Amino acid sequence: MTPPTLTPVQAARLRERQRRLREPTLYLRLGLLAAFALVPAVVPSFQAMDLALKIALFATLVASYDVVIGYTGIVSFGHAMFFGFGAYAVALALGKFGAVTYGHLLLGFAAGVVVSAVVAVVIGAFSLRVKALFFAMITLAFAEFALILAVQWSQVTGGEDGLSPKLPGVFAVGFDAGRILGVPVTGRLLTYYLVLAACIALFLMMSRFVHSPLGRTLQAIRDNELRAEALGFQTFVFQIVSSSFGSVVATVVGGLYAMWVRYVNPESTLGIPIMLDVLLMVIIGGIGTLYGGVIGAAFLLAARTVLPDLRTLSASLAPASEVLQRLSERWLLYFGILFILIVFFFPRGVIGTVQEAMSKAKASRG
Amino acid sequence: MRERAPVLIAAGLFLLPLALIDPRTYLTLTVAGLAMGMLIFLVAAGLTLIFGLMDVLNFAHGALFSWGAYVGFSAAALLNQRLGWATSPSVVANTLLLLGAIAATVLITVGLGVLLERVIVRPVYGQHLFQILITLGATIVLEELIRIVWGPNDQVMPVPFTFQGSWDIADVVVLRFPVVAIILGIVIYVGMVLMLNRTRVGLIVRAGVENGEMVQVMGHNIYRYFTGVFAAGSALAGVGGLMWAIFSQSVRPTMGGEQLIFAFIVVIIGGLGSVTGSLVGALMVGLSYNYVAFLVPKAAIGVTMAIMVLILLFRPTGLYGAAR
Repeated sequence: MTPPTLTPVQAARLRERQRRLREPTLYLRLGLLAAFALVPAVVPSFQAMDLALKIALFATLVASYDVVIGYTGIVSFGHAMFFGFGAYAVALALGKFGAVTYGHLLLGFAAGVVVSAVVAVVIGAFSLRVKALFFAMITLAFAEFALILAVQWSQVTGGEDGLSPKLPGVFAVGFDAGRILGVPVTGRLLTYYLVLAACIALFLMMSRFVHSPLGRTLQAIRDNELRAEALGFQTFVFQIVSSSFGSVVATVVGGLYAMWVRYVNPESTLGIPIMLDVLLMVIIGGIGTLYGGVIGAAFLLAARTVLPDLRTLSASLAPASEVLQRLSERWLLYFGILFILIVFFFPRGVIGTVQEAMSKAKASRG
Repeated sequence: MRERAPVLIAAGLFLLPLALIDPRTYLTLTVAGLAMGMLIFLVAAGLTLIFGLMDVLNFAHGALFSWGAYVGFSAAALLNQRLGWATSPSVVANTLLLLGAIAATVLITVGLGVLLERVIVRPVYGQHLFQILITLGATIVLEELIRIVWGPNDQVMPVPFTFQGSWDIADVVVLRFPVVAIILGIVIYVGMVLMLNRTRVGLIVRAGVENGEMVQVMGHNIYRYFTGVFAAGSALAGVGGLMWAIFSQSVRPTMGGEQLIFAFIVVIIGGLGSVTGSLVGALMVGLSYNYVAFLVPKAAIGVTMAIMVLILLFRPTGLYGAAR
């Protein structure tokens, strides 16, 4: 079956490809995909759809952040800013500076991507020259600047009130194509599948990116910058490429988010809280795993949905205690503590820890 | 001469707005800008020292700033309630109130600093990624604790009577409290420089900035100095917070995070690890912010960013930063 002319590299690739089909994680991924695809058919409530798609969106956003923080080892606090760029670009193209057409939708994405790429390269060129640590501080400053800009430049961005874009054609709220197999086909449903498909495509793209020779180089730089430099790689250029790539993906996710939520304001797309969420998700899921984002996003978003109920529970248990009331209201405190504990005890997150345990078990089995 | 160049250029730049603003307003703005610069300096100095000595980028610095403000606020409110030291027109009582609040702030923030360094930062020395993440986690926790202890809303800071209002010197309105802040800033800067240059502890700290391992080889327990510098930096941030609270006459839980961004910009401008760089950077940011806020209010935050970008363009390591 195997032609004898294969080079060792080709043979290794072939083995890898055959092994891949036997791996359980492949089926886990396919199952996950099926679950996301089936949500609107099985659970027809809007809340379930909204939660599922937000998990998909944030998982993709977190994965794009993971490319920067986990695979390249540079900490950015501007990732939410790029997400916001995308959201605002799409919202502006569909409303203020354009018409509600497919062309303008695409134009919005394109504009967001171009702006993000330019800003990311400029920030990278300024800060990564000296020390990757500068990047954290400078992106934080830029993110704050972008937030202030979005709030104050209200003729364009709508200020605190934000923008509510309308979607064209089959994605519009009013669109209705009757029922297919008993499921009502509406603009919402089509948007759901479009966004989901886009998220999957982005995921595959990122997976390809980190497993490419370029991705290998990035990991080498992360693990030992000095050695990578000594091997002749211009680490600074690679770091810029990686952070720009992550930022551009975040921009596209931002545009998709604007399409699904149909509302964009500074707080929900640009603010530091979004950045903290993304950081928490990547830490919980596991840095440098790409798929950790799914777990992190699912955990955090599900917790968000459940926590208000817990608050009412604690209010009914001890209505008099104000401190207890405050303690239950400040769920961010528990996320903060969780964050510290995970960094201390499970620095590789859920997926990283499971991977480690699995490889240990395999090793002990021989 | 190269050493002086940044100072001279900066000084020249800050005479420029004189062409656009009338001299009296200019002087008032300059006082306000110097005061703001001094307060940012207090935050940035601790940050830059901690970075220089321990190679730790401390994101929890902003939370310590907020804690300093709130502790000082509580102390001042308590002293005012019991003894009426803020409302009484006596200069002595007012000064005592300020000193009492500073003492309380220093006490608590030093404690917090030691705790943070020992529990949170020490296990992750040498790992930048985890340092950033863990101090960020500490920030979330500390800020939420403020909301639990003091409540989530803004509160009004009691300002001692003597420090309210303004002096009218030759038709120039000079606000009183900024002058106090400037004096305090100068005292602390001089104290820090003397401490670093004239004492044995300062010598070891400076040597540690240069080469920590060598200091250890010489038989000094560098981790003790780490704790000390971290605690001192925390205290500076706390005092900065308290002064800022009096300056803006209010305290709120997110105040530290906002100032931290200014402090980062200042540290980048001045160069990581340099106290003098922090002072120059802080004054530049404070002054330009005030001038531009007067001329083009909406561009105020933009100008600090522009300064940072410009300086990074010409000096990637900051004004006084050594290439590391």
